[in-house]
Amino acid sequence: MASESVLEIKGLSKTYGGGKNRILALNRLNLAVNRGEIFGYLGPNGAGKTTTIRLLLDLIRPSSGSARIFGLDARDDSVEIHRRVGFLPGELSLWDGRSGTQIINFVANVRGDAKGIAKHAGELAARLQLDTSKRVRDLSSGNKRKLGLVIAMMHGPELLILDEPTNGLDPLVQQTFHEMMNEYRDKGKTVFLSSHVLSEVQAICDRVGILRDGELKAVETIEGLTQVEFHHIEIEFRDALPEGLARQLASMPAISRLSVNGSRVSMRLVGDFDPLLRVIGGGYVQIMRVDEPSLEDIFLAFYSGDEEQSA
Amino acid sequence: MSGIVIGNTLRTSWKQILYWGLGLGALGLYIDFIASSPDIIAGYADLMSAMPPAMLQGAFGASSLELLTTSEGWIVTVFVSEAAIFLSVFAVLAGLNITANDEQSGVMDIILSLPISRASYMLGRWLGYALIGFGIVLVCALITTGGMMGMNIDAPPDVIFMSILNLYPGALLTMTVTCLLATVFRRRALAIGAAAAFVVLSYIFNVIGASASGAVADVMEALSYFTYVNGEGFALGTYDPANTAIVLIAALIGFGLSLKMFVSRDIGV
Repeated sequence: MASESVLEIKGLSKTYGGGKNRILALNRLNLAVNRGEIFGYLGPNGAGKTTTIRLLLDLIRPSSGSARIFGLDARDDSVEIHRRVGFLPGELSLWDGRSGTQIINFVANVRGDAKGIAKHAGELAARLQLDTSKRVRDLSSGNKRKLGLVIAMMHGPELLILDEPTNGLDPLVQQTFHEMMNEYRDKGKTVFLSSHVLSEVQAICDRVGILRDGELKAVETIEGLTQVEFHHIEIEFRDALPEGLARQLASMPAISRLSVNGSRVSMRLVGDFDPLLRVIGGGYVQIMRVDEPSLEDIFLAFYSGDEEQSA
Repeated sequence: MSGIVIGNTLRTSWKQILYWGLGLGALGLYIDFIASSPDIIAGYADLMSAMPPAMLQGAFGASSLELLTTSEGWIVTVFVSEAAIFLSVFAVLAGLNITANDEQSGVMDIILSLPISRASYMLGRWLGYALIGFGIVLVCALITTGGMMGMNIDAPPDVIFMSILNLYPGALLTMTVTCLLATVFRRRALAIGAAAAFVVLSYIFNVIGASASGAVADVMEALSYFTYVNGEGFALGTYDPANTAIVLIAALIGFGLSLKMFVSRDIGV
């Protein structure tokens, strides 16, 4: 993967309202996305994902900080940037009374090379199994989403900015979408997608940024995220639980979520295994299961508060 | 780039020229029919002779009873003042269509993610609807004038035609004011209310200003855009092109303010 940054965000903040109604939607965000990578932007509703995307597209203006795309200022050079970017909003609205073809033609005209773009749009629509002759009001939410994807991708942009792209898509189309994203990356193009679907992010993203309450909590590779230090451990003793073991485990700072059920004990362990093995040394361990944390666990760890994160 | 937006606006909304133009044209033919009957006009003249000036102005948009009792006067006052009110409805709706409707529905997010500046887009939309508005007034003027000629009404066609065409600057101003209000308030309902207040107050100011005397009445009359676009001037020979210019300049200033607001603020928030 090349290390050239396609997207650079420095100290980007956005507040809405004023006085008592002032809301800090994004707080001093710093982020860089490299050319040729698929970057997942994770966070729950209200975390600031859409605000970030709208700032990147110059739909809203930052309270402070700046964003550069292709080395150009997201605000001053927005027209040139938009020429090279494809965008799918999270809540897609299109002209209800117009057909997919009419909308595609309008967008293609604005983008120039209308014939070439419209042809590519037709190929994308066929791949996504979308009938563009129907009016938007007659399309299901999933088909509207497909039309949004076609509009975002039909000019072969260098950077795709997608807000919750697979919302409403059926699993088969989601699979097609994943293939398309991987092909995009293979062509050296970049994708910045926001999502709360962890499996999707795990399946296609190279790196992930995790946003919480307007602050970027972490930027990690998918591998890096799944190699965080905690593990889920379940131990089943052949005989009764050794005397005092539950108390000893409970007193260990590296152990949390301790649960004792007869001769079975489960916990979450942070750090090395050795302290745990020394404590259980006196008992006969029949089964010991160690699970890597899922992305879901990691996600929850980021969002469940500082206490949980440190546990 | 604005040309593409103008073309798209015309392509998707050209039917409004037919609907509104034919609708107002039908009203024009109805007025022509009344104006073609000396008996009906004489009947109205009796009724109007007992009316105070404010009522005459409010009901018929006329300040001269003498003019109102002629076929020519009937068309350029009654029809033009009624058409101006109907046209205001179109102008308010068109003003909302420039950006407010797309912004409130969320379509603006897609539009402004395309390689087109906010200014180009708004200019294209404004010009597109300005052309549609002109088309409506032109169709209406052609039908009404044609109808008048077909009914052999004794009135100069050029005066009738120009007095109807003179509705356009007021419609353009109303459309632009609505666009400005929608850009400022960002909420369609609020913009509609404020634009309706603009039209109604303008009408009331015009009625009071034209029927009363004194400094306050003069100011009220000067503040109403109806003052500058009424059709009487063409029939009475008092039409002043400067009045049309004032309204057009006010529309251009309003559009400039709308543009400045739209370019500098957050979209869809």
